Amino acid sequence: MIKYITAAILVAISFVSFAHGGEKHQDKNKQAIINIISSIKYGWENGDGEPFRQYFLDFKSARYIEGGGQNAGLDSLVEHHVEPEKDALEYLKLNFSGIEVHFEGDDKSFAWAIADTRIEGKVNKSGKIFDKTGFQTFLFRKVDKNWKVVHTHSSSRNRK
Amino acid sequence: MRIIQITLITLALITLAVSSESFAHNNASNKSRVYPENSGTETDAGKVISQFHKAIKKGHKKKARSLLADDIIIFEGGRVERSADDYANHHMLADMEYLAKIHTQVLEHSVQVNGDTAYSMSRTKSSGQFKGKYVNSEGMESMVLQKKDGEWKIVHIHWSH
Repeated sequence: MIKYITAAILVAISFVSFAHGGEKHQDKNKQAIINIISSIKYGWENGDGEPFRQYFLDFKSARYIEGGGQNAGLDSLVEHHVEPEKDALEYLKLNFSGIEVHFEGDDKSFAWAIADTRIEGKVNKSGKIFDKTGFQTFLFRKVDKNWKVVHTHSSSRNRK
Repeated sequence: MRIIQITLITLALITLAVSSESFAHNNASNKSRVYPENSGTETDAGKVISQFHKAIKKGHKKKARSLLADDIIIFEGGRVERSADDYANHHMLADMEYLAKIHTQVLEHSVQVNGDTAYSMSRTKSSGQFKGKYVNSEGMESMVLQKKDGEWKIVHIHWSH
């Protein structure tokens, strides 16, 4: 009888630690994705293409949607959008809040993250100040154990 | 007399031109989307996307609702909807009313499938007339789909203009 009770306890303990291990693994992945989002925020605010080059997967049909337009491919995003903003804007403040990360697939190798956004900035040429709120979608794929951004979609409206 | 004749003929021609244009518009708005070749719409996940577009266009509420995961998150027009029922009971009806009148041309569409997960991006041009206003705009759509119990469902949509 004691043998059966011991076996049952061992099974229960191993199940709990397996579940806990899974949670820890998920937390680690979630943190990795949040860190990437934080790097992207830095890249936008500083007109620095490096985080994009590091964390975005570059492929022919990659599309990044920003403010009603889209950039086809990573070079287009960095060279025509991220880097020119350094000179075009006096400042740019980007805030992602309420970030949610959802993992999909049996092997959890795909994730999508959503966030509420606030974008504030000042245009050098016109002196125009903008303040917008909206939503952001990031899609990620795990490639060689690293999370890579495969698509982004940002939409915003003037803050009321 | 000759002036009256010319005026009548001109009026008839104008009426004919206007009615042909409006007929053409109505016809165009009735047409379903045409997807580019090799865009991925031939995959099972891609078929769910095209079925969803068709159901919204044709006003098939049950069909459209059945293709959405219960806990779908939808970003549209600065708002968020956090369940399929929420969307189906509110904004979907307005989308159906709008799309029934508008012609949607697919400019670009790509579906990527990775095992039991898929995502789709598309760019469309909308034209026509809705509630007395002319529409001529470009729209963007991102979708995430998940296969559960052998069925593909849309789990996230982000629409913007």
